[in-house]
Amino acid sequence: MRPSVPNARRLSGPRACNEEGPPVLKKTAFSHVRTPKTLLKKSLVALVLFFLGALSAYLLPFLLPSSATWVPWVHHPLLPIFVMTVIFVAAHKPIERLIKKLLEKYFFQKKSFAQMTLMDLAGDLAVNLDLQEIANLVVNTFGEVLQLKTVTLLVPDPLQNNFEVASAYGWTISASKKVRLAVDTPLLKMVHQTGPHILMRGPVLQSLSWQEANALARDLDSLRAGWVIPLFVKGELVGLLAFGALVPDTVFDQGDFHFFREFSAAIGPCLHNALVVKRLRQLNFELQDSQSQWVQKTKLNAIEKLAAGIAHEIHNPLAIISGKAQVLLMQKGPKQLEPNVQDALNTIVKQTRRAADITRKLLLYSQGSRGPQEWVSLEKVLDETLALLAYQASLDKIEITRSLDPELPRYRANMQEIREIFLNLLLNAVEAVGQEGKITVEMKYRREEEILEITCSDTGKGIPEEHLDKVFNPFYTTRHEAVGLGLFVTQQITHRYGGSIRVESQVGVGSMFILQLPCSAETARNGDGEKHGESIFSSKSGR
Amino acid sequence: MTKKLLIVDDEAEICEFLKSFFEDRDFKVATAHNGAAALEQVARFEPEVVLLDIQMPGMDGLQTLKKIKDNHPKVKVIMVTAVETQEKIEEAMRLGADNYITKPLSLEYLEKDVQDKIDLLAKGT
Repeated sequence: MRPSVPNARRLSGPRACNEEGPPVLKKTAFSHVRTPKTLLKKSLVALVLFFLGALSAYLLPFLLPSSATWVPWVHHPLLPIFVMTVIFVAAHKPIERLIKKLLEKYFFQKKSFAQMTLMDLAGDLAVNLDLQEIANLVVNTFGEVLQLKTVTLLVPDPLQNNFEVASAYGWTISASKKVRLAVDTPLLKMVHQTGPHILMRGPVLQSLSWQEANALARDLDSLRAGWVIPLFVKGELVGLLAFGALVPDTVFDQGDFHFFREFSAAIGPCLHNALVVKRLRQLNFELQDSQSQWVQKTKLNAIEKLAAGIAHEIHNPLAIISGKAQVLLMQKGPKQLEPNVQDALNTIVKQTRRAADITRKLLLYSQGSRGPQEWVSLEKVLDETLALLAYQASLDKIEITRSLDPELPRYRANMQEIREIFLNLLLNAVEAVGQEGKITVEMKYRREEEILEITCSDTGKGIPEEHLDKVFNPFYTTRHEAVGLGLFVTQQITHRYGGSIRVESQVGVGSMFILQLPCSAETARNGDGEKHGESIFSSKSGR
Repeated sequence: MTKKLLIVDDEAEICEFLKSFFEDRDFKVATAHNGAAALEQVARFEPEVVLLDIQMPGMDGLQTLKKIKDNHPKVKVIMVTAVETQEKIEEAMRLGADNYITKPLSLEYLEKDVQDKIDLLAKGT
C-alpha cells in the first residue's frame, strides 16, 4: 500500500478555505448527521466515563491519608457523585478522542481502506492527462468503493459554454450524455455562489424559496444526485462530482465530508490539467485544419489562375487547328477527301477536343462548386454519357449494361459536375476493358442510410494492389496518351458533395468504382415533387 | 438579302480563319480585335449577328455585349468562350446574349446557329 495518508494531508491545502464560507450551509451540512457510528462512539464514551467515575468514588476513601478519616464530609453520601462529576468533566475529551481512534483502528477499517483507495487513485490520476480516462476512473472507483447508486462527473465545455457529462457510473452513458448544464442553470449558479462547499440536496433545498428550490431540484434530478462536490482549482470551476446514494436516507458524517473535500482537492488539479490538454489538442486540431484549408485554397487559386491562363492561350490555337480540319471535312462533291485523309482529320478534331478538356477539367476542379445547382435526373445524365461513348464502345466490342433502382431519387447538384463523374468513370472503364469486355453501371438509393450509390464495374485488366491508393492522385496514369485527371476530378467533385469514392480491383478480373453521395430522404422527396412528370418517366424506364 | 456577320476576337488568326469560313458560305464578314472597334463596326457595318469573344484585353466581351444590346437591341450576339466559366456564361446570358459556344469550335454547330439567328431575324423576332 502506498503511503497515501501523508499524501492526502499534503493535498488537503485548500481545506482551510473550505472551513470558511456562508454559515448557513455549514450549519445545514452537518446538523443532520446521526450515524450508527456516532451513537456507538457516544455510548462507549459514556460507559467508560461512568466506570472511571464509579471506580474513583469507590477508591477515594482508601486513597485519602488515614488521618483524614475523621473529617466528616469524607463520609458524606454526595461525595462519590461529586467525584464522578469531576471525572466526567475532566476526562470527557481525552476519552472521546481515544475511543474514536480505537474505533477507527479496529471497527471502521473498511471505511478508511476505501478512503485510502480513493486517495491512491487521486495520486495515480496526477500523472494521467487523458480526460476520459480520468473521468472513468473517478466515477467508477468512487461509485464502487463508496457503494453509491450514481456518480456523474461533469466538466466544462468552453465551446458550448456549458457543462457536459464526462463519465457516469450507475446509469447509462447514452442517458447521461444527454444532460447538459448551461452556465446559468440554478445548480451552477448555486455552486458559484457557495464556492467549494459540498451541496447536500435536502438542507440546500430547505434554505431556498420554493421557486428556487424547484429549479435546483430539477437540475439535481437530471443528474440523479443527492450530493454535488464542486471541484475548484484556483477559483475556477473545473468540474462537478455529483452522486446519489443507494439507500434513500443515507447520511454522511463529518469525517466523510472531510474526506470528500480532500478527495476533491486532490482530483481537481488532475482534471484541470486534463481539460487544459484537451483544449490545447482541440485548438491544435483546429489550427491544423484551417491551415490545410488555407493551403488547399491557395493551391486551388493558383491552379485556377494557371488553368484559366492556359485555357485562353491554348484554346485559340486548338480552335484554329480543329477549325481548319473541320473545314476540310465539310468539303463535298469533287473536292471530297480520300477516306484515310478524312480519318486523319477526324482524329485531329477529336484530339484537339481532348486537349481542351484538360484545361477545362483543371478549371472545373479549381473553381469548386460554383456552378448552378438543379434537380438532376441521374438516369438522364447517365444515358447522355452512354450515348457519347456508344460509338467507341461498339467499335471495340464492349458491352455496357446499366442496372438502376426503380425508385432512384433526383439529386440536387450541378449538372455538369455529375456529367463529369459519369464520363470519367465510364471513360476509365472503357480504357481498362480495351478491345472486348463488359461494363456495368449500377445506381441504387439506400434509403435507410440515405445514400445514393453509383457503382461502375468493368472486366478490364484491373489495377495492381500497389497502385490502388494512387489512382485518385492528380496526373497519375498508366496510359501514355492520358493526362491522369479524370479520377482525381471525380474524387474532388464527390468530396464537394460530401460523398466518397473507393475502388476495388483484382488484376486480370476487373475493377469496381463505388461512389457514394449523401442524399437525405427529405431532399429526395423534394426532388421528386419538383418535376413530378419527369420523375415518373425516369422511374418507369429504370425498371 | 446579304447575311452580315461581325467577328470580334483579340486573336487575329481566329478572326481571319472564321472570316474565310463564313465568306465561303456567302456571308459578308467584318472583324474587330477589341471592344471599342467592335462597337464602331456594329454601328457602321450593321451586322445581323456578332460572334463575340468573352476574354479580351481592355473592354471585355461582357462589357461590349452590354453596350451592343443597349444601343442595338436587334443584333444577335453569340458569345465565344475559351473555357466554360459558369459565372461568365450566366452573366452573358443575363446581359442578353443569344447563345454561347466554346473553343475549340464545332464549325457545323456554329454555322447552323448563326443561320438560325439570321432566320429568326428574317421572321422579325
